[in-house]
Amino acid sequence: MSEDKSLFTTLEEEALICGRCGSCRSDCPVYNVIGWESSAPRGKISKAKDIFSKGKQVEISDEFIERIAQCTLCGACSSVCSAGIDTRNLWLAIRKRIADEGRAPEAYKKLRDTLLQNRNISSFSNDDRLEWAEDLDDEPEGLELKAGAEVCYFVGCVSSFYPQAAQVPITIVEILMKADVDFTTMGGEEWCCGYPLLSAGFVDDRKPFIEHNVAKIKELDIHTLIASCATCYHFWKHDCSPELEGYDLEILHATEYLARLIEEGRIELNELDEVVTYHDPCDLGRNSGVYDAPRSIINSIPGVQFIEMGHSRADSLCCGGGGNLQSVDPDLAAKISDLRVKEIKETGASIIVSACQQCEQMLSAGVRNAGLPIRVMDISELILEAMD
Amino acid sequence: MKSLIIDQLKQKLGNRATDSQFESSLYSRDLAPVPNLLVNPLFNTAADLVVRPIDTAEVAEILKISWDNDIPVTPRAGASTVYFDSVPIKGGIVMDLNLLKGIVALDESGMMVTVKAGTTWSELEKYLNGKGFALRSFPSSAPVASIGGWFCMMGYGIGSIKYGSLLSQVKAIELVLPNGEVKQLTSDSDIPLDYLAGSEGTLGVVTQLQVHVRKLTSMKHYLLKVKEPDLSRVVNHIQGERMVPYNIHFSDQKYNAVMNKLGFVADEFTGSCTVAVDYEGSEDDLKAADAVISEMMSGDFEVELAEEKDANQEWKEKFLALRLKRGGPSQLGGEVWLPINNLNHYLDTIKEMDKKYTLGLVSYGHVATAEHAVVMTAFFADERKTIDYVLKLSMVKKIQDIGHRYGGKPYGIGLWNTPYIGYIFDNSQLAELRARKKELDPKGIMNPGKVYRPPLLLNSFNFKVAMNILAAVSRAVGRGNRRV
Ligand SMILES: Cc1cc2nc3c(=O)[nH]c(=O)nc-3n(C[C@H](O)[C@H](O)[C@H](O)COP(=O)(O)OP(=O)(O)OC[C@H]3O[C@@H](n4cnc5c(N)ncnc54)[C@H](O)[C@@H]3O)c2cc1C
Repeated sequence: MSEDKSLFTTLEEEALICGRCGSCRSDCPVYNVIGWESSAPRGKISKAKDIFSKGKQVEISDEFIERIAQCTLCGACSSVCSAGIDTRNLWLAIRKRIADEGRAPEAYKKLRDTLLQNRNISSFSNDDRLEWAEDLDDEPEGLELKAGAEVCYFVGCVSSFYPQAAQVPITIVEILMKADVDFTTMGGEEWCCGYPLLSAGFVDDRKPFIEHNVAKIKELDIHTLIASCATCYHFWKHDCSPELEGYDLEILHATEYLARLIEEGRIELNELDEVVTYHDPCDLGRNSGVYDAPRSIINSIPGVQFIEMGHSRADSLCCGGGGNLQSVDPDLAAKISDLRVKEIKETGASIIVSACQQCEQMLSAGVRNAGLPIRVMDISELILEAMD
Repeated sequence: MKSLIIDQLKQKLGNRATDSQFESSLYSRDLAPVPNLLVNPLFNTAADLVVRPIDTAEVAEILKISWDNDIPVTPRAGASTVYFDSVPIKGGIVMDLNLLKGIVALDESGMMVTVKAGTTWSELEKYLNGKGFALRSFPSSAPVASIGGWFCMMGYGIGSIKYGSLLSQVKAIELVLPNGEVKQLTSDSDIPLDYLAGSEGTLGVVTQLQVHVRKLTSMKHYLLKVKEPDLSRVVNHIQGERMVPYNIHFSDQKYNAVMNKLGFVADEFTGSCTVAVDYEGSEDDLKAADAVISEMMSGDFEVELAEEKDANQEWKEKFLALRLKRGGPSQLGGEVWLPINNLNHYLDTIKEMDKKYTLGLVSYGHVATAEHAVVMTAFFADERKTIDYVLKLSMVKKIQDIGHRYGGKPYGIGLWNTPYIGYIFDNSQLAELRARKKELDPKGIMNPGKVYRPPLLLNSFNFKVAMNILAAVSRAVGRGNRRV
């Protein structure tokens, strides 16, 4: 009888609506590691109510700021909230209030400075966005800023600048080339999507980033955009609507596009004798509703035995890598990842596949620390392996 | 002395104990929407220490120390109760039991699971479903409510109509007595396990339970639109049929209208009450269920069958009761354990009350046994408007009084329902309960102030007078003004 649209009103009102029932608690990865009420969504909302909802705002304590930063924005609490509170939006609204008061964690402030200076989250110049492409066997024509291309691949900061993730764009580009897709990237004109600013509370600062990226897409006359980063995808899909209004842009996650290529017969897959499990990135699965495309890709590879983890799809556990958590509490992020690695181990899979470079980095570290003989791969890498 | 012991415990438990005010203030509340100004002058809800024991041995050790030093201990698990059941009112230690989590053993042939008390019902159901089994019953707070917590409450919820109370499904429990002694209880032990059902943390800490389960079966869901005068009759008819439903949930017309305004219920459901009926069982069982419903549709009931997708959606949304609160932002109400035969009388009188006080009362509930339903009658309020809010609190007593008039009583006691203790138990029952308390907890360290008698300021006489005055004022100033 009901729809899944956000019912979010204001921070003050939503905090009052919360009935403290605690349905949000068991699914919260942060609560599952820390275990104190103040780390659980209902505890945080209870504090937020005391601070913001009772007339004149009272002082925000350091402990509250710390707890609000201890969140991966995975959205698990939103999907189970028995009062229909869009808690993910609520956390963002609280982070904004904290930032507005100049009280954002130092790591967030540094991130903001970096972004405003470099237009990406790394310390590198944005002109180096395509450095990863030097590792391609053949650099395709039109890789950078080709107007009118059928598809524009939005690479994302992590894949562009961090060597651990460089394999993702390399693989995607190789697949697009093999499938004869007319594609391009925004090269040095790709700016950070803006999500790290939003999630750190610097909501207004994200605006110029969105405006720039959207203007470039329009200038290049691009009508299909694909992103391999689940968060960039979610951001493009949900946070750029005003700027994109009236412009015809299909926004797809790489898994959706690659599944389409497979379905159209533009990609041929050979047999792989592997047991594979899949980790749903929160921003792709629970927060965007894309569950089937990655599964259909895995299941279309002959010989692959696919096993679901104990928690999957909307119920999936977070990898610990979201919500800027790593920048403020890397230990907590790693412990959250360990919970997921436990489930991966229980499947007995030889490969854990995901569809987000951040999840893959978190899980790689977790699998390595646990000494498990399991390969962590991006779904594009699995496809390429089956194509070779 | 006490602070020395608290310090020692804190040292011992390390990061599983805290006396931080930031943290412990969250353990001073449950769902009860009672303003601080009414709570703080009367009760000390601030824990001196919150502890999170990791196993039975640690629970026992903490209880022994508390016992030796007369320190109150309040057990707390999901804290999904609403009467301050798990909130301390005399300070002391709050024992957070959520680390006692996990499945100990599944006896597939005996259809029995042994589970630690802090495991949630949803976690246990997920585990069982993976093994081809399912819970016989669970509360509609399953995502947060713990196995031990529900056992220590009344233990009626979804599935109870078919499988009985939780007490009837529990074969054995492990209990730590207030003095730290660990006991295994069955129905035949020196201390029978039924002492603990509904004990609300006042007799000891349950650390492990052995619970009967059922085979996982298919389900079939129906949603009926029922004309208000026929509600009792329809509910009674369905639950009285040979094919016993797994669950029957009903909402009155007002509830559907409010939920419609909030965007949760489609227009077609606004003119009637709804009854959701869920069956589980073999293919033959489900066929028999279908026959029950078909027969009823062709009978003389004022009822209409909704589409299957709506029925399935209703089941899917069974844990989302708090969506109603979006019409608030605050919600007050009374929950009544009511004879089903009197459901219509109760609802009619609730309507009269609403005419008088214009609160916008809505009612919903589920059938708990062949004779009883648990009915929630709720209304909106705004806790930011303190005077208005306090006046409205008095209406909760009016609801309980109406329930009582029709053979009902409050469901759960904790602190806030102690003034109604006379509605809940007769004198001999009460004497028996008090004797148990004296036997197991002669020092009265476990969850003091709850269940057995109202604290002085809440005793029945004072409470009645105060509530009646507030109700009169409320009526005089016409505080109703429905929001939705
Ligand atoms: C949306 C919603 C739906 C609900 N539906 C139902 C329902 O269908 N049926 C129903 O009966 N109730 C229902 N409730 C009320 C409540 O959720 C249940 O009674 C629940 O089982 C309580 O479990 P808990 O773990 O939250 O216990 P808590 O609230 O933490 O504790 C309840 C009481 O038991 C004591 N206690 C807890 N654990 C232990 C233990 N291991 N040993 C000793 N004492 C202990 C506490 O001291 C307290 O007195 C509902 C509540 C909400 C918010």
